[in-house]
Amino acid sequence: MTTSPFQVTSRLVKDVAIVYPRGYLNNLSGEYLVNECGRHAQAGLKKIVVNFHETDLINSIGISFLLNVMEDLQTAGGTLCFTEMKKVHLDTFEMLGLTKYFLFFPDEEAALTALDARKR
Amino acid sequence: MPLTGLPAKDYLNREDDLSYLRRLADMRQDSLAANVLLLGTRGIGKTELLKQVFREVFWEGREVVPFYYSFKTAALKSSTFARDYFTRFLKQYAAYVKKEPLLVDDAGMSLTRLMPVLSSAGLDWMLDIVDAFQEHAVSGDLYGQILAAISAPAAAAKRGGRRILVMLDDFTASEDLHEARRGDAPGLASLFEESMKNSLCPHIITGSPTARLEGIFSDPSLRKDTERMQLLPLPEDTSFSFFDSLLRKMHITCDMREAIGLIRTVRGNPLYLKNMAKAAWKTKKKELREKDLAECYCHEILDGEISFYWSSVLSERIRTKNLLRTLLRLLMRQMTKEGADDEARLSQVLGIRDAELGQAMEILDGNGLGRHDDPVFEDFVRALYMREIEGRSAGEIRERIGERFGTQRDSSRFEMVIPMTDQAELVAARAVEQIGKNINLEPDLLNYIQLALVETCINAIEHSGSYEKKIYLNFLSTPEQIEITIESPGRSFSLDSLRESPVEEKLASGRKRGWGFTLIRKIMDDVRVERVNDRTRVTLVKKIRNKEALK
Ligand SMILES: Nc1ncnc2c1ncn2[C@@H]1O[C@H](COP(=O)(O)OP(=O)(O)OP(=O)(O)O)[C@@H](O)[C@H]1O
Ligand SMILES: [Mg+2]
Repeated sequence: MTTSPFQVTSRLVKDVAIVYPRGYLNNLSGEYLVNECGRHAQAGLKKIVVNFHETDLINSIGISFLLNVMEDLQTAGGTLCFTEMKKVHLDTFEMLGLTKYFLFFPDEEAALTALDARKR
Repeated sequence: MPLTGLPAKDYLNREDDLSYLRRLADMRQDSLAANVLLLGTRGIGKTELLKQVFREVFWEGREVVPFYYSFKTAALKSSTFARDYFTRFLKQYAAYVKKEPLLVDDAGMSLTRLMPVLSSAGLDWMLDIVDAFQEHAVSGDLYGQILAAISAPAAAAKRGGRRILVMLDDFTASEDLHEARRGDAPGLASLFEESMKNSLCPHIITGSPTARLEGIFSDPSLRKDTERMQLLPLPEDTSFSFFDSLLRKMHITCDMREAIGLIRTVRGNPLYLKNMAKAAWKTKKKELREKDLAECYCHEILDGEISFYWSSVLSERIRTKNLLRTLLRLLMRQMTKEGADDEARLSQVLGIRDAELGQAMEILDGNGLGRHDDPVFEDFVRALYMREIEGRSAGEIRERIGERFGTQRDSSRFEMVIPMTDQAELVAARAVEQIGKNINLEPDLLNYIQLALVETCINAIEHSGSYEKKIYLNFLSTPEQIEITIESPGRSFSLDSLRESPVEEKLASGRKRGWGFTLIRKIMDDVRVERVNDRTRVTLVKKIRNKEALK
């Protein structure tokens, strides 16, 4: 585990926002992530994919922020997908009994395909 | 007794503690210091430190009279205690003034015979103090007698112009002071309050177990004006030098590499090292190998002095065989279990009635036996368990203890302090990563341990309401397990208070928080929370199963 300063960026693929949180996801950075996703939702996007490829560590506060993102999006009638989660992160969700509340995909490709299928 | 300390050259590694206590009288008078509550595990050297202080102060000539009293050897019937305390004080005072060390421990010197000695030392004013004491005795005023004895140092400090350094050892035994039978006069310890307030006679008070000593001092009247001083284990290199120097005196040699298992097992406890050196001498070997040490160790654990020491500690509180057996099963469960038990659960799995279990738990907690960091004590318990509960033969027990000896050889310990600042927990996580790598721990497992540690640190930061913004970490790894303790000042909490609410409930709440301890408990094999002095200590234990260590 090497932890770099937190950063969040995103890109758009058609009507899907893909968000990249990098580094350590905790209380401070969780806030950024919530804002970034909120920004997309405000712009009318209903599908968000969070790619965790470069997320080193997610602490329990980070998790509560992810739950907030999900709740906000669901209220707006949107869908949230997680991709490229490390085993330890997946296990963390499992241990907390939270797996069933999220959609997990191995990579962006799979997430995009699934979201596309949903539309139809 | 107080003048029988080790020669200064053999007394190791306590320069700072010693020089602080030596100057206590000066500093207390200038309001720079308070009374000292000297804390430390059994056998760590509390008594020895007092003896060293006594000797230095005795010969120093700064007009500070050292007075040492041990409640362990004291007669605990209160009338006898009062006379004993009083007489010993006078003797030690006279010994100081006359510079006659022999007088300190002169058991044959009664109060009556002491009078001319006091007079010849120019201490005629002391005769008034003696008279006052005797009056209480004659009138049968027991309370007055005890109070007069306890306040004698303060009275003498006022009258005699010399300050008194009062050192009370084994103070926990003062709880057993009684009139006719044990327990009929609780709270006698609080009579020390007056004398402790006096800045001309600072007190150093110690005893074992720490939990009971702290218990006595939770009384606000004793607590104020008292500061804590913790006596730490000897570092590994000092431990070896100490052991080596003891052996050399008996013309025995032992290489550091052969002794490392022992050194790590005893965790810096000089009492164990001393007993091991004595046991080594009995083997008549001139050069010790690890297997010789293993043999000595088994002997010590089964029927040597270490065994004797712990047996007497246990027998102080445990009067029936049944209780002993319950206690052993409880201890064994604590040592081997993977996960915390509550009392109801324990009662089920151990098949022990609630009342009996409660009694045993009280003894464990009250005597600091339940929570310790002492492989030697654990081996003692193991051996006793094998004998008393499993009915194994001595040969068999010896063999098993022997097998365990040296498993500590490959242990390593790291300490670190991190500030309570943003992301400091990551620094701790990095440390545990390297420690895990050192013992070839599987990366996945390491990730979990890191997460549990991060969560515990975050929790410590959130719970601390203290101005001291620091977290104290201690990592101990052996081939069998990794143990991390995280200590932080501030508000205390218990595991039970962290109620596990269902996921749905948490999700419905606004902040959606409260996952930390669930995670920690899922990840670790054992999680304990306890209060240690004014810090909260969380201990995380992860057992390493075979497949989890990379070959
Ligand atoms: N710093 C030291 N250097 C060398 N030997 C020491 C040192 N400290 C203690 N010892 C020796 O270790 C042994 C145990 O010490 P001591 O009896 O003072 O422990 P204690 O903390 O008073 O134990 P208890 O809790 O049983 O009262 C003694 O034989 C003592 O001489
Ligand atoms: Mg002692």
